[in-house]
Amino acid sequence: MIQVGLLTETQKDELIGQLYDSDSYFNPIQDIDDNWIISTEEIEQNENPNFTWVRDLPLIEFKPKPNPPLFI
Amino acid sequence: MANSNGWGDGAANNTIGWGQGANNAIGWGDIQADSWAGLTDITGVPGFDADAQAFFTAANITDATQKTAVNQLVLDLKSYSLWTKLDCIYPMVGGTSTTHSYNLKNTATFQITFNGGVTHSSNGVQFGGVNGYGNTNFNPSTNGSQNSHHQSFYSRTNVSAVEIETGGTDAGSGSYVAARLSGTSYFRLNTLTDISIANANSQGFYIGNRTASNVVNGWKNGTKVVSGTVASTGNPNASLFIGAWNNVPNPVIRYYSSKQCAFASIGTGLTDTEAANLRTAVQTFNTTLGRNV
Repeated sequence: MIQVGLLTETQKDELIGQLYDSDSYFNPIQDIDDNWIISTEEIEQNENPNFTWVRDLPLIEFKPKPNPPLFI
Repeated sequence: MANSNGWGDGAANNTIGWGQGANNAIGWGDIQADSWAGLTDITGVPGFDADAQAFFTAANITDATQKTAVNQLVLDLKSYSLWTKLDCIYPMVGGTSTTHSYNLKNTATFQITFNGGVTHSSNGVQFGGVNGYGNTNFNPSTNGSQNSHHQSFYSRTNVSAVEIETGGTDAGSGSYVAARLSGTSYFRLNTLTDISIANANSQGFYIGNRTASNVVNGWKNGTKVVSGTVASTGNPNASLFIGAWNNVPNPVIRYYSSKQCAFASIGTGLTDTEAANLRTAVQTFNTTLGRNV
């Protein structure tokens, strides 16, 4: 089971466009229930002192939005 | 044999460089123009190819094995006449987000921007399958050629999942390589139609390749596994991603990959020989690094 960090709408807005290490950006996405989430990699690798709070995010099971038919 | 230059002549095409040999294999410690050799390429002199050295400097690569591997990769790509056909070469070497971001072809262009959940190690870039990807900033609409294009991806992971390893699309045209989706490899090159072939293992080196308006093919491990006549429909206005699909019309759906990438490239279309040679060069590179599959 893949776990992800659950964000509030405000937290999502704070993370968009922000670095979590010297070269990597946070990428909040929505799961199947439209929850905003980030990956555990972003949480564990965060070096940005402005966002140390990501380590306290509640973890939930990752339920991705279904991918629509793609292949023709 | 002694002669007027005092050093003696070496035999033509010999393997010893002591003296003035024609076309011998080993010169004696200087660049060709300044050496006593005839048409000799100087070997055995410490140093790296200038393009490899530029990459080491930009990415701060210091490990001797990594330097040897990258230098040989550059030499091989040049000897195979592939260097000029590649716009982006991502060796994914050095083990960090910074070292993995640089384009070996030109460290000042198409540097990857990583986003979301990815993990970097000496084996390459592990995409997390949730929201991780790298943006190459290579946009085919401005940087590519509609009827001559390739993308490659070296997968160290065997998984069958609804994922795309590299690509991008707008509403009228797109490209991608999907190594193994429900047991099938899919390739799309500057069109909205795929070619596909059954694939039981997603590990390996994949190339999606277009060489003409109606010539496309897909490669795995140096073998052309599928070909087709799908017509190109345009050059997508979408920066190509690695580890996901830059789906411009619907950015919520990106088919995030969970595979570990140990090399990727973008460039013009490759002949069959060039595609096979690219795999040879990349496999040699990854074998030197002990991460080949």
